Amino acid sequence: MTMETSVIGKSLPLLDAYEKVTGRLKFAGDMPPLQRMHHAKVLRSPYAHAKVAHIDTSAAEALSGVSAVITYKDDITGNKKTCNSPWQDFSFNFRGPMISQEVCYVGDEVAVVSAVDEDVAKEALQLIEVEYEELPAVFDMEESMKPDAPQVHPWGPNVLDPSVFEWGDIEQGFKEADYIIENRITLGNQQHAPLDRNACTAHWEGDRVSLWTSTQALFWIRDAVTEFFELSPSKVRVYSSPTGGSFGLWWGNNFMFLAIAIARKARRPVRLILTRDEVQTTVKRRERPLIDVKIGIKKDGTMVSQSFRHLMDNGAYGNKFDPYQSVADIYTTPHGRAEFIGVSTNLLPAGCMRGVGDLTLAYAIEQTVDMAAEKIDMDPVEFRLKNHWKTGDICHTSQEVLFAKLLFNKEPEVSLTSSGLAECIQKGADKMGWKEKWKGWGKPSSVDGYKIRGVGMGISTHISGLAFFGFNGITIKVNPDGTMALTTGIGRMGQGGDTTQAMVAAEVLGVELEDINVIDGDTEVVGHTMVTFGSNGMHMVARATKAAAEHAREQLLEFAAQELEANPEDLDIKHRRIFVKGSEDIGIELKELMSKPIYEYLSAPEVIGSASKGVEFHKAGKMMIADFAEVEIDTRTAQMKLIKFVAYHDSGTIVNPAICENQVAGGYYQSMGLCTTENLIFDEETGAILNPNFMDYKIMGPLDMPDPDIYFAEVYDEDGPFGAKGIGEGVTCAVPIAVANAVYNAIGVRFDLPITPEKILQALKSKVH
Amino acid sequence: MIPICLKVNGEDCPVQVKAHWSLAFVLREKIGLTGTKTGCEMGTCGSCTILLDGKPIFCCLKMAVDAEGHELTTIEGIENDGVLHPLQQTFIDGHGMQCGYCTPGMIIAAKALLEGNSNPSEHEVRLAIGGHLCRCGTYVRIVKSIMDAAEIVRNT
Amino acid sequence: MEYYSPTELSEAYALLSKYGDAAIPIAGSTFFMGHREELFNEVDAVINIKKLGLSYIKLEDNILKIGATTTLSEIFESGLTSQGVYKILSETVNELNIYEVRNMATIGGEVCIAGEVDMPTTLLAYDTNIVIGSNDGTRVVSMADFHIGYLNNALEVNEMVTEVQIPRPPANTGGGFRKFKRTAADLPIVSVAVRVSLGSDGACEDVRVVVGAATLSGIPQRSAAAEAVLLNQKIDEALIKQVAEASSDVECIDDFRVPAVVRSLWVKCSIEDALKKALAEAGKGE
Repeated sequence: MTMETSVIGKSLPLLDAYEKVTGRLKFAGDMPPLQRMHHAKVLRSPYAHAKVAHIDTSAAEALSGVSAVITYKDDITGNKKTCNSPWQDFSFNFRGPMISQEVCYVGDEVAVVSAVDEDVAKEALQLIEVEYEELPAVFDMEESMKPDAPQVHPWGPNVLDPSVFEWGDIEQGFKEADYIIENRITLGNQQHAPLDRNACTAHWEGDRVSLWTSTQALFWIRDAVTEFFELSPSKVRVYSSPTGGSFGLWWGNNFMFLAIAIARKARRPVRLILTRDEVQTTVKRRERPLIDVKIGIKKDGTMVSQSFRHLMDNGAYGNKFDPYQSVADIYTTPHGRAEFIGVSTNLLPAGCMRGVGDLTLAYAIEQTVDMAAEKIDMDPVEFRLKNHWKTGDICHTSQEVLFAKLLFNKEPEVSLTSSGLAECIQKGADKMGWKEKWKGWGKPSSVDGYKIRGVGMGISTHISGLAFFGFNGITIKVNPDGTMALTTGIGRMGQGGDTTQAMVAAEVLGVELEDINVIDGDTEVVGHTMVTFGSNGMHMVARATKAAAEHAREQLLEFAAQELEANPEDLDIKHRRIFVKGSEDIGIELKELMSKPIYEYLSAPEVIGSASKGVEFHKAGKMMIADFAEVEIDTRTAQMKLIKFVAYHDSGTIVNPAICENQVAGGYYQSMGLCTTENLIFDEETGAILNPNFMDYKIMGPLDMPDPDIYFAEVYDEDGPFGAKGIGEGVTCAVPIAVANAVYNAIGVRFDLPITPEKILQALKSKVH
Repeated sequence: MIPICLKVNGEDCPVQVKAHWSLAFVLREKIGLTGTKTGCEMGTCGSCTILLDGKPIFCCLKMAVDAEGHELTTIEGIENDGVLHPLQQTFIDGHGMQCGYCTPGMIIAAKALLEGNSNPSEHEVRLAIGGHLCRCGTYVRIVKSIMDAAEIVRNT
Repeated sequence: MEYYSPTELSEAYALLSKYGDAAIPIAGSTFFMGHREELFNEVDAVINIKKLGLSYIKLEDNILKIGATTTLSEIFESGLTSQGVYKILSETVNELNIYEVRNMATIGGEVCIAGEVDMPTTLLAYDTNIVIGSNDGTRVVSMADFHIGYLNNALEVNEMVTEVQIPRPPANTGGGFRKFKRTAADLPIVSVAVRVSLGSDGACEDVRVVVGAATLSGIPQRSAAAEAVLLNQKIDEALIKQVAEASSDVECIDDFRVPAVVRSLWVKCSIEDALKKALAEAGKGE
C-alpha cells in the first residue's frame, strides 16, 4: 500500500486520552445527579422458571423514602409487546414486557423500587412479598429441543426456525470426497464482564423522556423506546456516555426500560446502577454453541464439501437465529451447507459477544480441518494455504443473503472485497518459527522432562459491518479558527471510534487530528448512526464520515477559489492551509479563510459538510486473521502455559496502529480467558450462576499471559475508506482454536473449552505411554 | 450521621457519613470526585485504587469513617498546577488505555511504585498492578507506559 | 450501625462485652467490607482497633511477637520478618501479589479468617500461638486450636486477638510456602507450608507439613502421614516424592472452583516444591 497520507497510519493519541488519564471522563455512573433524582433497585427471581402467584408491594411502598414500585401488574411494564420478528427487536435481548408474571431465568426481574437512596431501596426490596409457583425448567439445549420439553418462556417456541444456507449439492459433495471427517464441539459460557457497571438515568418531562446510559446502540434504543412506549422519536432523547468496555453487552438492555418505567411512575429522575453481580448474571452472555461439523476432502488435501449444524443457546430471552458468522465461507468448496438453530433454555439470556459466530464456528471448523490435515499427514499451514478463500470469492453464508431473502425475497450474490489471508498465514507461520517447531502429526514440538510443547494455528474472519445495519448521517462544521466539529453516533466502548473517524475526516480536510472535536452520543444532535457492532465503524460508518468531510472540503475549496482567484480543482488543503497545486506559495490559512469577510456577504463564510450514506452490499469487506500458538503442558502439575502467540491480521489499511494493536491484544486476553478460566457455571439443579463476579469468574490479569506478537498485513481494500476494513471483533476469533490445536500437538488430545487442569489431568491419565 | 473531615488531594473535605459507607462511595457520591471507579465494590478489580499516606489501597474496602487523619490522593490530585504527571503523559502518548475505566487505578498504583522504585523491571511493574484488571486487555501498553514514565522520572 | 474507634484496650473490651456477637472488630476491614451485604444485617457495632497500639513486630525472649493490627506490608518489609529464621513470613506475604490488600490486611485479620487466606497455613507450620484479650483477661490458644471450622474460630463473643507469637524455630530450620491459583490475582486454591529442622546428622529432626485452602475442613491441616515419612530421615529426591504421595491423608475439597482430583495433585506438587525449598534453607544453618 503506497498511499501518501498525513494523518492516516499514525498512532496519534486518543482524542479523549486527557479525560481518561485525569479521571475527568464521565461514564454513565459518574454523571452528576439530577435534581430530585432517586435511586432504583431491582428484585430478581431466585427461580429459573416460575409464575409470580402473588406479589404484595404495600409494605415497600409505605417505607419512608420510597417513591415508586413497579411489578408486572403495572401497565407501563408493557404486557403487550412480543419479540416475534428480528427486524423489530435487533437487540436479541429485550423481550415482550420488561417485567412478566412468568419469570424465566434466575435473575429475571420481578419488581423495581425507587427511593431516596440505595440503602432505602434495598430495604424496600426486602419488604416485597412474593409467592412463586415453580414451573419446570430446562437448562440443556438438546433437552430443550425435545418435543416434551417444558416451554422456556411464553413468547414463542423453544426452537427458532433454522437459518439455512446451501450451495452446490452437499450430498454430491460428500460422495466426491476421499475422506469425510466429522466432529462435534462445544465451548464454555463466556460473559462480557466489562469493568464498568453501567447505569441508566431516566427523566420524564411531561410526555418527553430523556435517557442517559452507556450503549453501543444509541439509535436502536431510541427506536426501541419509541416503539415500546408508543412515542414519537421527537419525544425521546437518548444520550450515550462512553462505556468502560462493552464487547457486545450494552445494546438495548432491559434495565434501561425499567429505569424509564420507574421514572415515569415516581415522577422523578431515577438512576439505576447495576451491581457487579448483576452485570455478569442478569444481562447477557455469549451464546454457547453446540456444533456438528462434517467436511469432505480429497487425498491431495482439497476440500470439496463442508456442512455445519450450529445450535446456539439463546438462554431465556435471546432470539438469535443466526450466529453472525462469515467463517463458513473461509474455505472455498463447491458444495456446502450451513444450518443455524437458536434454542431457548431457562438460563441467563444469551446474545452477541465479541467475535460471535466467527469465534464459535471457527473453533469447530479449525479443529476439524486439523483432523483432516492429520488424516492425510499434511502440514496444517499447507492445508489452510491450499483451501482458503480469495478476493472476489462468493460469500455464501453472509447475513446480507439472509436479510435480502427475508426482506425482499431475493437471493443475491455477495463477494469478498479483499483478502490478505495468504500473507497472514505465511508470514504468521514464519513469525512463529513454524518450520522449526512443527515436527509433524503426533510429534510434540519439544519435550523437556515434565514439560511438553506443541504448536498450533487457526484462521478466522469477521464482517466489517453489514449493510442492513442502516444509513449513517454525519456532519462536519468548520469553526472560525479552522477547527472542526464532527457529529456522529458511533459507540464509545474503548475501540477509539471517535478518534479514527476524526482521523479520516482530518485526512480529507488537510488538518490535524487535534483540530477535530467529536460530538457524540445524543440522538437529538447527531445523525442516525448504525449500531456500533459487527465491527462496522471503519469500513462502513467512515464512508459517511469521509463523504461528509469531502462535502465540507468542497465548500472550503469553493470559498478559497474565490479568495485566491483560482479554480477549485486546482486547489488542495494540507496542514491547515489551502494552496494552489504546483504553486504552493499561493494560498491561504484555513483559519484566515474562515474568519475573513467576503465582499458579497459582508461576513466570513460558514461551512457545514454533511452526508447520509448507506452501504451497497453486493461486496462484503471481511477482516481476516491467522493466529499461531506455542503452548507448554506441565505434565507434573497438569497446567497449560502459553509460551508464544502470534496474531497476524488483515484489516486493510491500519488507520491508527496503536489503537489496532490494543484491539488485537484485547481480543487475545479475552479469548485466553475463554480458553482457560472463564466459564459461567450454572448450578445443575437451580440454574443459578455460582460464579457471579470476579472472585470466581476469572479474567486475565497482567501477570497471566505473555505479550502477543502482533502483525498487520496491509492489503488495501478498494471498498473501504482509505483502504480500511474493520478489526474490533476478529481479534477474538482464532485465538482459542490456535491454542487448542497447539495443545493437541503437545499431548494428543482435543478439547472443548475451557481447557482446565482437570481436563489435562484426565487426558494425561488416559494416554498410554 | 457521623461528621468527619477527609483530607483529599491536600484539601479538607468535611462530610457527613454513615458508618457503613465505603470511602469509594463517599469520594464519588458525596465529595464529587468520580475519577476513582468502583467496578466491583469488593476488592477484585483495582479500579478503586487510591493512595492513603502514599500507599495504594482499595478504597471500596475502606470505611469512610476510618479514613480520617490520613492523606488521601486520588487521580484528580496527581497533576501539578495543571501540568500532568509523567504517568498521565506517557499513558496518553503510549496509548496505555482503551475504554479508560481501569486507567485511574492503574496510574495511581504505578505512581506509588515509581515513588518507591524509579527503576522497576517489567515484572515489578506487573506486580505493582497485579490486582488490577483491564478487560480491554491493554496490559502490553499499560506496562510500557509505566516503564516510559519511570525513565522520565529517573531523568528529572 | 455504630462505629467506635477506642484508644484504650479496656474501652475495646468493654464494647465487645456490651455488643457480644453483634460487634465486629476491624483493622484492615477487607473481609468485613468485602462481605458487607451479608454482614451489615448482623452487625450493630464496628470497633476499629487500630488505635490500640497493636501494630508492632518485635523479638522478645526468643519469640517473635506481632501485634494484631500489623499489616501484611509491614511484615513484608520488616527486617525481622524479611530475612533470617522468620523470612517465611515475608515469603508468604509475597505470594499475595495484590499490593493494595497487603497494605490493608492485618495478621490479626488473616488469623481470624479460617478460610482462604495464606498466613494461618504458615503460622500453623511454625507452632504459632494466638494471644486473645477481653474483659476477662488474656489467654493464649495455639494456632492449631484457634481454627475450629470453616470461617469459625475459637474467639468468644467478648474477645479479640491482640497478638500473634511465633517461637524461634530450632537451628537448621528452613521453611517453604507454595501456592496454586487459577490466575495470578486469585484466592488460594491450594497452599502448603513446610517447616523442616535438620539434626547434626542431616536427618529431619522436626517437621511440619501444612495444607491450606484445599482442605475439606476448610482450615489449614497438618498431614500426619507426610510428616511421618520425613521424621528421622535424610531427605532426598525419592523421599520427597514419597512425602508428597503420603499427603493424601488430608482430604481435599471438591467444588466448582477446582475439583478435588486437581487439588490433590497440586497439594503433592506444592509439598515437593516447598519441601525442596525448606531443605535448601535448612541446610544454610541459621
